[in-house]
Amino acid sequence: MGRQIIHRLVISFPALVGVLFLCFVMMQVAPADPAQIIAGPDAKQETIDAIRLELGLDRPIIVQFIEYIGRVVQGDLGRSIISNKAVSEELAQTIGPTLELMVGGLAMAIPLGIMLGTFAAVKRGTLIDRAIMAISVAGVSMPIFFIGLLLIQYVGFKWDLLPFTGRNGPFWAGGFTSMILPCLTLGSVLIGPIARLTRTAVLEVLGADFVRTARAKGLRERTVIIGHALRNALIPVVTLIGLQAAYLLGGAVVTETMFSWPGVGRLAVGAIISSDFPTAQGAIMILALAFLLINLLVDVFYVYLDPRMQRG
Amino acid sequence: MSTTINAAPAAPATASSEMSRPSVLRRIMRDRVAGAAATILTVVVVAALFAEWVAPYDPYAINLLNVMAPPGGDHLLGTDSNGRDILSRLIYGTRNTLMLGLVGVIFGGLLGGLLGILAAFYKPLDGWIMRLVDVLLAFPAILIGLAVAAIAGAGMTAVLIALVVATIPDVARVARGAAIGVMEQEFMEAGRALGVSDFTLIWRYLTLNCISTIFVFLTLRFGQIILIGSALSFLGMGAQPPTAELGMMAAQGRDFLFMAPHIATVPSLAIFVIVLCANLLGDAIRDVLDPRLQQ
Repeated sequence: MGRQIIHRLVISFPALVGVLFLCFVMMQVAPADPAQIIAGPDAKQETIDAIRLELGLDRPIIVQFIEYIGRVVQGDLGRSIISNKAVSEELAQTIGPTLELMVGGLAMAIPLGIMLGTFAAVKRGTLIDRAIMAISVAGVSMPIFFIGLLLIQYVGFKWDLLPFTGRNGPFWAGGFTSMILPCLTLGSVLIGPIARLTRTAVLEVLGADFVRTARAKGLRERTVIIGHALRNALIPVVTLIGLQAAYLLGGAVVTETMFSWPGVGRLAVGAIISSDFPTAQGAIMILALAFLLINLLVDVFYVYLDPRMQRG
Repeated sequence: MSTTINAAPAAPATASSEMSRPSVLRRIMRDRVAGAAATILTVVVVAALFAEWVAPYDPYAINLLNVMAPPGGDHLLGTDSNGRDILSRLIYGTRNTLMLGLVGVIFGGLLGGLLGILAAFYKPLDGWIMRLVDVLLAFPAILIGLAVAAIAGAGMTAVLIALVVATIPDVARVARGAAIGVMEQEFMEAGRALGVSDFTLIWRYLTLNCISTIFVFLTLRFGQIILIGSALSFLGMGAQPPTAELGMMAAQGRDFLFMAPHIATVPSLAIFVIVLCANLLGDAIRDVLDPRLQQ
């Protein structure tokens, strides 16, 4: 298992360097000259040149890139042009809420999706099956902001059931209610695909010999479904969650913006709109790294779930 | 040259006979749901194409005396916060949204398909191309959109670039997978033995046999691409006011959600219907053209 994880880490390395390189290139091709920004609009050319020298902007690109990696490793991502705070400080404040939102979204989507999918598989061909599948196709086709808008408009505003703007602290300290609508919005993107795949996987496993054996042994139907069929059907579902990580991340950006959730996605969008380049770059980098990490975790979990992978 | 091609087993024939238009269309339309989806999409596309003639009002004409009018009466879908006719903006906006999706799918499909096929054909290139694909896959589409908007400024171009770049790696993988399968066929070996040029091998032998798989994959992706594009527009990274684009219209309506919910709901609903129809139709096309992909 350890070897598998190391292997995955080695494979992720080019992607990691690629992400850093693209973020670095972003800075290079940006219309704004960092030296000019730091010096201010009325600075003399000599001042700008001095700052360029100080920042090492006159050195070869590859040297600058290596230095950039050095700074990133040390957590130095520059300063926000708008708030003048260190970008790393801003990211440290926002990464927690983003993770909370994503974990909350998954915590809603995974059980619900698996439950619906299993139910549809067990009731295959019935009206319930068709209804669940129709809902899941509709869910896949729904823009995430539409779901958010509906929840805000009805649950938040009209029926006044739950708060729909901002985050009232961490979920263990009174912030739980403010989490529900954003997490529901984000989770809704994943329920459809998870339900669909669970259904297919469970149906496939239900036809397998070991399920027939379990039934022949006289096990209760519930034990057969949950203990035998579902457990084996979970493997493709875990892979799917890895594949859906991109939607989870993209969805988090939209959800945070809609619900004024103080996360990295909202920080990135705000920074881009206000041309705060260092902050935008740092936020995009953190989100890309988070995405790599999610995929890595999914791969590791996959090996754990499916012991056959260890031998392969 | 032509004799060599004729002498080689007619590789592309399998694909072209399967894709002969009337039978494919008839098979898709036999599915009632897919038929309905195809009809709705056709109406939407025609309305968007002929927006100038179909739209009842000028989509940019502001009327501050009639803002946020509810649906019904003179304005079938009401008016927005500037008194502009929502139906007209919806028709023009659909044109922009569809255009984003189409350009993303076509250019992303061409570039990704080329990369995938080259990776399968030239073994030494394979590792390099797939590493590039891995790096591209490390950037979810929304992040690419944010990055491009940060560099080049928000606008339709930023979204277009993001959609194309986001489509490339997935298509490259699918195309490579399909092409590797074709590479193992005997007619490829026969072509090589007959001295057919690399270009002809790639184009006539390989690409034509992968096209249906790539096409099916792209039809399945189209809905997702539209969703990503409209999400970027919703975030303010795409079309800028006053341009009508569905995602941006929804974002503008969000500010008036409690006073006039229809301003945001109507364009959101339109995106939903378009994507739903595209997904249903994509599924049907897949079932007809490439049932193996169902896995």
